[in-house]
Amino acid sequence: MQSPVLVVSDLSVERSGRLAVEKVSFELASESETAVVGPNGAGKSTLVAALLGLLPRSAGDVEILGRSLASNGHLPGFIRSKIAYVPQSLSLQGRFPLTVAEFVGFGFDPPGPRWPWRQTMQRLEAVETALDRTGCLDLQHRLLSELSGGQLKRVMLSFCVVRPRQLLVLDEAQAGLDVPSNERFQQLLLELRREEGWTVLHVSHDLDMVRRSSDQVLCLNRRLCCSGTPDNTLTPERLTELYGSNVVPYRHQCHG
Amino acid sequence: MVDAGSLQLILAEPFMQRALLGGLLTGALGGVLGSIAVLRQLSFFSDALGHSALLGITIGILIGVNPTLILIPFAVVFAILVNQLVERSSLPTDALLNIVYSSSLAAAILALSLVKHYRGGIRQLLFGDILGVSNLDLVVIGVLLTAAVIYVGVSLRAQVLLTLNEQLAGAVGVRTGWHRLAFIVLLAVVVAVSIKAVGVLLISAFVVIPACAGRLLCRRFPYYISASAALGGSCALLGLLVSGLTNLPSGPSVVMVQFLGFVMALILSSSLLSGRSRQPARPRIPGAGPIDL
Repeated sequence: MQSPVLVVSDLSVERSGRLAVEKVSFELASESETAVVGPNGAGKSTLVAALLGLLPRSAGDVEILGRSLASNGHLPGFIRSKIAYVPQSLSLQGRFPLTVAEFVGFGFDPPGPRWPWRQTMQRLEAVETALDRTGCLDLQHRLLSELSGGQLKRVMLSFCVVRPRQLLVLDEAQAGLDVPSNERFQQLLLELRREEGWTVLHVSHDLDMVRRSSDQVLCLNRRLCCSGTPDNTLTPERLTELYGSNVVPYRHQCHG
Repeated sequence: MVDAGSLQLILAEPFMQRALLGGLLTGALGGVLGSIAVLRQLSFFSDALGHSALLGITIGILIGVNPTLILIPFAVVFAILVNQLVERSSLPTDALLNIVYSSSLAAAILALSLVKHYRGGIRQLLFGDILGVSNLDLVVIGVLLTAAVIYVGVSLRAQVLLTLNEQLAGAVGVRTGWHRLAFIVLLAVVVAVSIKAVGVLLISAFVVIPACAGRLLCRRFPYYISASAALGGSCALLGLLVSGLTNLPSGPSVVMVQFLGFVMALILSSSLLSGRSRQPARPRIPGAGPIDL
């Protein structure tokens, strides 16, 4: 049996002087897809930031691909390069002079200094393949700031798939995608898991999509309220407990 | 009327040769760092640094130390403190910078009123004296330009990702805190060194205007930085020549040439955009390729 990709033990994180995440523990099995759900302000994005080493933790341990995450967020470069992250948005105010292909190329580059004009054939091919895979090849010469919200999400996914990874962390990455794009996005995640062994952790508010695609659901409201398979966690009772009001998950008829 | 003879006469003067080279290097330096500063919304930060430099110069005069020597450490410490203030405060950055900028300017003016005699003159501090650039100044600006090009070049990926999303940059291993600080310190040193040539009031134009013009014209990041540097350098060169030939003040002449360059970039980018929008749309075959969102 393969060892878990991510092990989180009693993780607590403070933000703006208050405990935003408290004593959260879970594991991500290799090639699995796990969704983090919960109301606004429940600490979902804080949890993701702490797992990536971007926020200091108050207590607890995080182990990624067999390596402990240092308290200052340090991870060895070779482990860091196996993690991909899609944030909620990019800061693109006004005209940003960066093409889609250039941006995706930055995802291919290893950490550390590099001359900007050093273009290897391997890099160019990887960028083209990644853009093709996410259906963004026709956008490669467009500026990032010219893209719609949905196109930008797909391009951010291209940034991740441009090199082999093992853990993909998505922070509400599918918000704003229309139905066909969402289906294609989900299909690509499935391919990455099955064919390349990626493990996916995503924050989502789309409970129907979570039910259809996830192996594990973490219901977070500062603490872990419940976790398990979608059938066991996304019940009306559990969701009412989590969201504090009557929430009945709606299943799209076309998906059964 | 300006003729070739007057141009030859001006170019033959050693002080003018130094000024032209100084302007070229300072303009290019402002363009390189400005290209990142503008994207990271640090335009007002360079302005605040420039105005606070007046306080540094005044402190130097009051304690009897050469203002140029005190300006670099003052600007670096000031930049680090302001950066800490912006990071830790819950107030908007522009409001904080305005407080810092106006307070340091007021303190500098009050301190200047205590100075009985200053050979340099307040006008020189405000608008610079590029004609007084020495060989040592040229060497310092040249070294800084080399350092800035190397730093921005090798850390381009870090600079871009840090500008786009700090969390994304951190997730791929960029040392975000280190790069943010390094850039601000470099910007502070450049502002401090360029003050002598450009002056307190006009320094931010050297950082902001060529970069904004480059931003309008370029689509690829390395070209954007190169174009900003080229525009900064060439506008400074042209502005100094205009100043020399017409006997107008040098700093404001350079800034006016930069402004004209910006207007031209604005017109050129608008015509490029309208030209592109007139091109016929490619026919879309249903079911072929992804849906454009």
